[in-house]
Amino acid sequence: MTGSTMNKIFRLSAVATAAVVLAGCASVNIDQTLADTNGATKPFTQGKLELSRTEQQQQARSKLSNDLLAKQLSMDDAVQLALANSPAVQTLLAQSWADMAQANQAGRLANPLFSFERARFGSELELNRLLSFGLLDLLTLPQRQEISRGQVAQAKVQLSASVIEQVTQVRQAWVRAVAAQQTLEYAGQVNGTAQATAELAKRMQQVGNFNKLQRARQQVFYADATAQLASAQHAATVALEELTRLLGLTDAQAAQLKLPEHLPELPKEPLQAVTVSAKATQQRLDVQIARNQLDMAGKSQGLNLINSLVDIEIGIRRDTVFDKAAATKTPRTGYELGIRLPIFDWGTSKRDAMNAQSLAAASRYESTVRGASSQLRESYSAYRTAYDIAKHYRDEIVPLRKAMAEENVLRYNGMLIGVFELLADNRDQISSVIAAINAYQQFWLADSALAASMTGKPTSMVMSAPASGGAGEAAGH
Amino acid sequence: MTNRRSFLTGAGAITTAVAAASVSRVAMAALPEPVLQTHAETMSPLVPTTGRPYNPVVTLNGWTLPWRMNNGVKEFHLVAEPVVREMSPGFKAHLWGYNGQSPGPTIEVVEGDRVRIFVTNKLPEHTSVHWHGQRLPNGMDGVSGLNQPAIPSGKTFVYEFVARRPGTFMYHPHADEMTQMAMGMMGFWITHPKVKHPLIDDVDRDFVFLLNAYDIDPGAYTPKIMTMLDFNLWSWNSRVFPGIDPLVVRKNDKVRIRIGNLTMTNHPIHLHGHEFLVTGTDGGPTPKSTRMYEVTTDVAVGQMRQIEFLADEEGDWAFHCHKSHHTMNAMGHEVPTMIGVDHRKVAREITKLVPDYMVMGERGMADMAEMEMPLPDNTAPMMTGAGPFGSVEMGGMFSMLKVRKDQKPGDYKDPGWYKHPPGTVAYEWTGILPDPARFASEGGKSMPAQNMPAQEIEVQVRKPVMGNMKH
Repeated sequence: MTGSTMNKIFRLSAVATAAVVLAGCASVNIDQTLADTNGATKPFTQGKLELSRTEQQQQARSKLSNDLLAKQLSMDDAVQLALANSPAVQTLLAQSWADMAQANQAGRLANPLFSFERARFGSELELNRLLSFGLLDLLTLPQRQEISRGQVAQAKVQLSASVIEQVTQVRQAWVRAVAAQQTLEYAGQVNGTAQATAELAKRMQQVGNFNKLQRARQQVFYADATAQLASAQHAATVALEELTRLLGLTDAQAAQLKLPEHLPELPKEPLQAVTVSAKATQQRLDVQIARNQLDMAGKSQGLNLINSLVDIEIGIRRDTVFDKAAATKTPRTGYELGIRLPIFDWGTSKRDAMNAQSLAAASRYESTVRGASSQLRESYSAYRTAYDIAKHYRDEIVPLRKAMAEENVLRYNGMLIGVFELLADNRDQISSVIAAINAYQQFWLADSALAASMTGKPTSMVMSAPASGGAGEAAGH
Repeated sequence: MTNRRSFLTGAGAITTAVAAASVSRVAMAALPEPVLQTHAETMSPLVPTTGRPYNPVVTLNGWTLPWRMNNGVKEFHLVAEPVVREMSPGFKAHLWGYNGQSPGPTIEVVEGDRVRIFVTNKLPEHTSVHWHGQRLPNGMDGVSGLNQPAIPSGKTFVYEFVARRPGTFMYHPHADEMTQMAMGMMGFWITHPKVKHPLIDDVDRDFVFLLNAYDIDPGAYTPKIMTMLDFNLWSWNSRVFPGIDPLVVRKNDKVRIRIGNLTMTNHPIHLHGHEFLVTGTDGGPTPKSTRMYEVTTDVAVGQMRQIEFLADEEGDWAFHCHKSHHTMNAMGHEVPTMIGVDHRKVAREITKLVPDYMVMGERGMADMAEMEMPLPDNTAPMMTGAGPFGSVEMGGMFSMLKVRKDQKPGDYKDPGWYKHPPGTVAYEWTGILPDPARFASEGGKSMPAQNMPAQEIEVQVRKPVMGNMKH
């Protein structure tokens, strides 16, 4: 063996050592990742996403939670609270960290293999030492690191998507809880009217001004209203508990939770369709995920092509032979190369699979882009329709009902209608208000769904048909 | 007759002459100028300056149509048109009428007059005029389709006949009659006797008005023309109390009141403080032998009654339809009776839901007159009219006969409230109320009831005592 050969070998091993060292340095920085996610999902998290690992972080989080719970919880507050307080969110972050670390692993070199042999032959003792590692592993390291970085990036995007989904759920649960509370309040008012009507009818019968049938007719409204109040009560509880779960509140925290009495007012102007354009499509996380997948498929294609054909192992060998008889010690150095012979498998299946996967990734990307813009249009339609309906309720139906109520009081004043008609109309008016609340709820649900659709992942929004504004004749008389 | 001429104010002074604008002026040139009226006040009687003399009538909240003589023919010009009639202060109705008002002007002629009436149709649909009760040529009777083609929109037709018999008449359309009468198209017609008639006395004051009814939803303006019987505004000459003028007379005046009924129900017209005779019907003056003193006379649908009396009792005497709901006005017939119903707590509960709610009807309906609460726009209040002692609690077909000894002859101005001589007004008794002596042996068992139920039924009277109801 010549000296130059030896030099080559040692140079190689030095490179390998350096690669090992380098690969070992690049670990996942979760704080940086969260900062990136906060940046990517700013309208959702307002930069408040944080994984708490230390006692200090824990305390900061619980202080924030307490502060938020001390006041009336707005929609944004609810999101902050969920980010700070929900164990589910922390689970999400920790899990995402784990995924990224896993991905990072793929960008590292396999550890070198050291083998030692000791053999005695007559008077000869032979000690063999072999330090071997996969040559291809080393040669493809930069490429594999790139892929690994891609996977980490993918995991980051995935995290952002999950955060947006979580936040959207919190927002929608908040909307449902507030609306249910509001509806309950009005159901209580309907019940109050019905109760007053029933009581008055009872007294009417007692003094002989009503017969049994007339009284029963009024009583039955009260009976119905009571049943409706009970189910409204349960619906409010269901909505509140869903929010409680998404906020990850403890029992004590749940007792502290205070929601506003009304849903927020509608925005002055709805978002315009141009804002929600194809440009937004490119920013969408599902599109980004699909593109990442496509990129990675492209990069790993070349790499896997080599891997599928060849597998080269290189080893540095240093043997020493001790000859007792001759009292000599003969060193012997060299290297070993192991090559897998592509005799049975020329790698065609693997290549097919890879080609197919690349193709699939390309198609998936295409389909995601196409689906995204369609889905965005649908979300926008849901948003816009909900806005228009809610506005219509606010500007048309509720004022009309109010005007009718005022006119009916005037008619009552003139003894043109009786108190039962007045109260029946009042019930109708309240029903319209409940329908209006429902319309507002639909809008805010659609609003958060659209926001999620624009930056995050598609969130489907099923519009419920608006309730009638009570155009029919007032019931009950 | 001559002394009555002294209060003559003249046709020009009492009417506002406005030419009908939309009908061609050339076509109009040959016609008497139509005279339109823009307000609903009672006009002084129109004393004739041309034609045969007669003793004119006073139309309650109305007027008499001026005429012109044309070669011995009395020519009138009626314009059928949409009008806005103030039915009571603050309450206006969109009606159809004649010459600016509904009802139209009273037409006064003398027995034997040849009368020519130009009728210009400014309504959106065709019309005709039926001269209710007149003897006339068949082709002048005004039933569209039967006696004549209907007068199309924008056209003028001429009716011409001799007023053959003296008496009290009406005019109204006989084309799309239900609509047009529900919209207020009607008027009075008086044919005065040419010479002294044995059955027609001279009177000092002669009042005329039509009974009419409308169905206008509170807050609306136009009558519902499909209503059959459930009208909500009962009016005299399309005016409702307190919008109706009083019938003002001088003490010891001989007074005649002529009433025509163009509603769809009868009206027992009742006068306080005097007895009257029914001296005429649709057919003319009644024979003296059929006359009897009454205080109420029923005026059936499509009928006319002429009553006469000597106004010899001073004061403000109620004069009204005796169907009490005709003196109430717009009211909800479906409003339940609330009398005796304890509202405490419930009222508070209702106020939470309807902040402007006030309990009404718990003690009856007088609350209505007392409370003065806001009503829908353009709604005549139901029971109102402030008298010298408080609310009169009336509406609709209600007015007053005001008899004053110092009222000048021919003066129809409202003299204000009657000043009662001391000690002539009902007053509160503040002395001790002795136990009334009662007959003590009512009932008894002299005629025991047969087939009684096994157990005697106890009639329980539940008194509406406040605060003792178990609930």
